[in-house]
Amino acid sequence: MVRGVLRAAAALSPVSRYAVEGPSMEPAYHSGDRVLVDRVTFRLRPPRPGDVVVLRDREQRDRFLLKRVAGPPEGTPPGGLWVLGDNAAESRDSRAFGPVRRRDIVGRAWLKY
Amino acid sequence: MSRQRSIVPSTVARALRALDRIARPATAHAHCDIPCGIYDPHLAQIGALTVIRMNQLIDGLQADDAAARNSFSRYVTVKEEHAELVKREVRIIWGDYFKPEHAEKHKDLHATTWNIMKLASQARQQVNMDVAQNLLAEVQKFAEAFWDTKGVATKRQPSNQAVGGELVVPA
Repeated sequence: MVRGVLRAAAALSPVSRYAVEGPSMEPAYHSGDRVLVDRVTFRLRPPRPGDVVVLRDREQRDRFLLKRVAGPPEGTPPGGLWVLGDNAAESRDSRAFGPVRRRDIVGRAWLKY
Repeated sequence: MSRQRSIVPSTVARALRALDRIARPATAHAHCDIPCGIYDPHLAQIGALTVIRMNQLIDGLQADDAAARNSFSRYVTVKEEHAELVKREVRIIWGDYFKPEHAEKHKDLHATTWNIMKLASQARQQVNMDVAQNLLAEVQKFAEAFWDTKGVATKRQPSNQAVGGELVVPA
């Protein structure tokens, strides 16, 4: 009952909670950190280089990734974003899977808690 | 990075953490793995065959002159390297590729892997053809289990190498 209400609230909520797993965004985010993702900002403005975003893994659709926007890549379709892990040596990111579609971006990593 | 507000007031953080305990947050992966999805037990079998071949060559040494000692030390080195290669290749497939449901279906998968680790170490420590043959046999079983999880039928075919022996390959 409580969970059902929370799920309904989550679906309507402008923010979502995520738990970080893995080292690719160190030192900004460590494995186990919790992050509140805001799903509103990117309706008002496009993602900018420097934004940390949660996105859907295009190679495994039920997975979410945490990466930083590095910029719109050159020569890619409009709307494609290049995302990288801060910890480049230990990150699977656009270097591996290419540019990311805007609609795969869930939202902006807003608050760490 | 500096624009990121990293810390929220502790009361808010506590409330959010409490909420997490009631309803788990989704996971945002920040992983380092590159799941290239390319696995093949072929190299492990070549390693095991090479260990057998080195045992053959060591056993076949006749003279005890400088040339023979030189050959001997080279054979031992290659035996060491290829036994280690077997362990490495099998470890990657076992650890990265196999999933719990695979082990469920192939009940002896973990035991086979364990045997390979033990036998490969013995193959380094000793000049022992029985150990080398057992190592190949276990690696062949491992290869058959691997291909079975992919729904691929296999056959054993002659290696067509001086060493003899068989390789497990997709049928």
